[in-house]
Amino acid sequence: MAQFVQAVVLGVLIGGIYALMASGLTLIFGVLRIVNIAQGAFLILVATFTWWLWRTTGIDPILSAVITAPLMFGLGWVLYRFVVRRISGQAASMSVLLTFGIALVIEGFLNVVAGNKFRSATPAYFEQSFRVGDILLPKAQVYGFLAAVVVLGGLYLLLTRTWAGRAIRATSQNPSAAALVGIGATATAALAFALGSASAGVGGSILSVLYPFFPASHYDWISRLLGIVVLGGMGSLPGALVGALVLGLAETLTATYGSLQWSTLVFYLVIMAVLLVRPQGLFGARLREDVA
Amino acid sequence: MRRSHVVALLCLVALLIYPVINPWQPYPQGVMLMMFLLAIQATSWNIISGYAGYISLGHSMFLGLGSYTAAIIALHTGVNPLWVAPLGGVTAVIVAVLAGAVVLRTRGHAFVIITIALLLSAQIVATNWDSLTNGSDGITLELPFWSADFQNIPFYYAFLLLLVLTVLFSAWIARTKFGTGLVAIREDEGKAAAIGVNTTVLKILAYAASSFFIGVAGGVYAYYQTFLNPVGSFAILGSVLIVLAALVGGRGTLYGPVIGAFIVSLVNEGATVYGGNSQTRVLIMGLILVLVVLFLPAGLLPSLSAAWRRRHPVEVSFTDQVGALSHNTAVVRSRLPVSSDRPGPLLEVRGVSKRFGGLVAVDGADLVVERGSITALIGPNGSGKTTLFNLITGAMPLDSGTITFNGKRIEKLPPWTRGHLGLGRTFQVTRLFKDMTVLQNVVAPQPDGKLRTMLADAVSGAEAARARDLLDVVGLGALAQQKAGSLSYGQQKLVELAQVLMLAPELVLLDEPAGGVNPSLLGRLTEVIRELNRDGVTFLVVEHNIPLVLSLCDPVNVFARGKCISSGPPARIREDPLVLDAYLGDDWRADAHA
Repeated sequence: MAQFVQAVVLGVLIGGIYALMASGLTLIFGVLRIVNIAQGAFLILVATFTWWLWRTTGIDPILSAVITAPLMFGLGWVLYRFVVRRISGQAASMSVLLTFGIALVIEGFLNVVAGNKFRSATPAYFEQSFRVGDILLPKAQVYGFLAAVVVLGGLYLLLTRTWAGRAIRATSQNPSAAALVGIGATATAALAFALGSASAGVGGSILSVLYPFFPASHYDWISRLLGIVVLGGMGSLPGALVGALVLGLAETLTATYGSLQWSTLVFYLVIMAVLLVRPQGLFGARLREDVA
Repeated sequence: MRRSHVVALLCLVALLIYPVINPWQPYPQGVMLMMFLLAIQATSWNIISGYAGYISLGHSMFLGLGSYTAAIIALHTGVNPLWVAPLGGVTAVIVAVLAGAVVLRTRGHAFVIITIALLLSAQIVATNWDSLTNGSDGITLELPFWSADFQNIPFYYAFLLLLVLTVLFSAWIARTKFGTGLVAIREDEGKAAAIGVNTTVLKILAYAASSFFIGVAGGVYAYYQTFLNPVGSFAILGSVLIVLAALVGGRGTLYGPVIGAFIVSLVNEGATVYGGNSQTRVLIMGLILVLVVLFLPAGLLPSLSAAWRRRHPVEVSFTDQVGALSHNTAVVRSRLPVSSDRPGPLLEVRGVSKRFGGLVAVDGADLVVERGSITALIGPNGSGKTTLFNLITGAMPLDSGTITFNGKRIEKLPPWTRGHLGLGRTFQVTRLFKDMTVLQNVVAPQPDGKLRTMLADAVSGAEAARARDLLDVVGLGALAQQKAGSLSYGQQKLVELAQVLMLAPELVLLDEPAGGVNPSLLGRLTEVIRELNRDGVTFLVVEHNIPLVLSLCDPVNVFARGKCISSGPPARIREDPLVLDAYLGDDWRADAHA
């Protein structure tokens, strides 16, 4: 029983962190209708940078999100204004290919600059745990989870309580109507892309402590994140949250009762099963498509 | 024979005699062999991602599946891997059909995502299923059975043969109605479903078709390498090269992926020789991909042929009004359905509702279309007419109510099945496939779901002849080879009508047929409608041109706030106070009474 509770608690902790990582992907898709394949590469880029920062200055990896998030916000904004925007209005498949290309460029850049080897940031609390009764809570996971909750909460407030957030939500629901009431489409899209990248900034810093990584790890991460988003329903934030929890639980439960190697596969099987019953994902809405 | 085919044939002859005139050069042969392998993969990828527009980022998985199939069989039975290579294709097809059946039922992005997940899953399985795959240690195969004097020349010809077969297969698909259906899906999936294209089955078939030859090549490739392991067999860089090759050459074209594959493998080889390790290769390939998407999105071949067309323009043709006005409609009649003499109305809508969030677009609507009538549906904007059309044709699911067509309940059927039963429609704003020629647009509809129809020749033979006749009827025969997107709005309306007639429908739903069509052609249009109607085709027309409605249609149904408020012969509708109220509102009535 304790083993089961332990697995569930760990699953929730990891699920919260996955939710943060997936939120950027679903935000960008919601507003821009772009599947940002480079989101996984963003994570690895930030993780590598965080690792370097920790090694050279000793700044706590999770805390360094305060630095990496604004940097990624800037990078996302620049990428959108000068690269991604050029293909707006083209077929959706082009955006997949473009962001795939960006992911490869980041991977290649990391290979050349940082070298192709496994890394992991290991601060003092790396192998310590909080103990609650019989249950062990690894400190790194707890700190990461707390950071994720803070950022997700902030993102929620930003989207619901500010004009910029309302502009983003309006554009994601109906771009042309949003443009008609004076919301600048380009500025809003750039903001959404930048925010989505910034969330990868925080996610990447957390990742650097929790998981060993190397430049090509981004394939692994992007397929997990995309799985979460497909499971929850493309473009739905609550859906991403639920999808992330399902992934976290599927992983810890399979790792506890089966073996670690198969845990990702179990998650893909869950996605397939869900798609069989609900092709649009758990929270995906089917809206009218005849009025463009 | 077209010029491009002649060039391709000459290239093939050159490649065939190359090992004969230059036999002692293993290095260039090895490079060319990899070019063929990439070309096989890119040409196959082009079927699902070029023709149908569904991007696969994990297509190299099929090469790995083929390799493992052949290697495992060879390992456990001792058969030479070369002889069981075709079974690699079979494995690839099975996996493609299973995965496709799950993710290709929806439109959009789930597919691209699953293709990456599948590739990684395959790697996980190959690494962890030790007893079958020998885990991460991989499988070592025996050396080729022929004398070392032959070097890799047998492999050279094996891959070249597979490449020729793949290109022929791809060319054959492009010729069939299956191929036009795939392009229709790429251009406008909803519209494709409305003209009888079973989009789900076509997409799954396309995914399977795009996997077979890669799987076979995988078996041969395993033998060529004599060693395979999970990381090498399911490498994502392989998928990158496939995507890049097809994109550089021109996706959606026949020879583009082959040309692109030759270029990309040479660049790849150059990067390996001069650029150092495989890490820099990722950077180079990524940069090329970004640059191609930004600056050469159509690819080399289409860009070059567009430049050629700009320098050698075709004269603009106008709608052949004289031809249209003089052509008889016998040809239209020739394949109309034998109108069944079943009793009861042709279409019966009972208590149908559809909500969009809080908005009730159609609210318990009833509508009857009698066999052989030209029924009108009029009403103010936003009264739910087009939504009702969408519910009848199945473009969106209804919330409640029943729809009976020809005595059969259809409200749960997919749109293409309704099309096969004899239900055709045109759209308010025309939805032609803009990158297809006018002729291809008219041959795209699939009047039934049979495999034989799907594999019938689309660009020549009986189907094309019938399409040309239909185009003559609407006066656009001279424009058959033009891109549909370059036609004027009115001309597009006429093409859309010809397209629907290709379905041999019993009931045609016309959504504002007169909008944007000039008066003399409008006269022709109504004449065509009347003649078709005399021959047994029933029409349901939504139209704002009230004089046209009142002269053409009987009965007339009036829609307001999501339901039918009045119906009857035109003369009565004209006088009905309810109708005037719905169109003009209370203010008007107050004024009238004052």
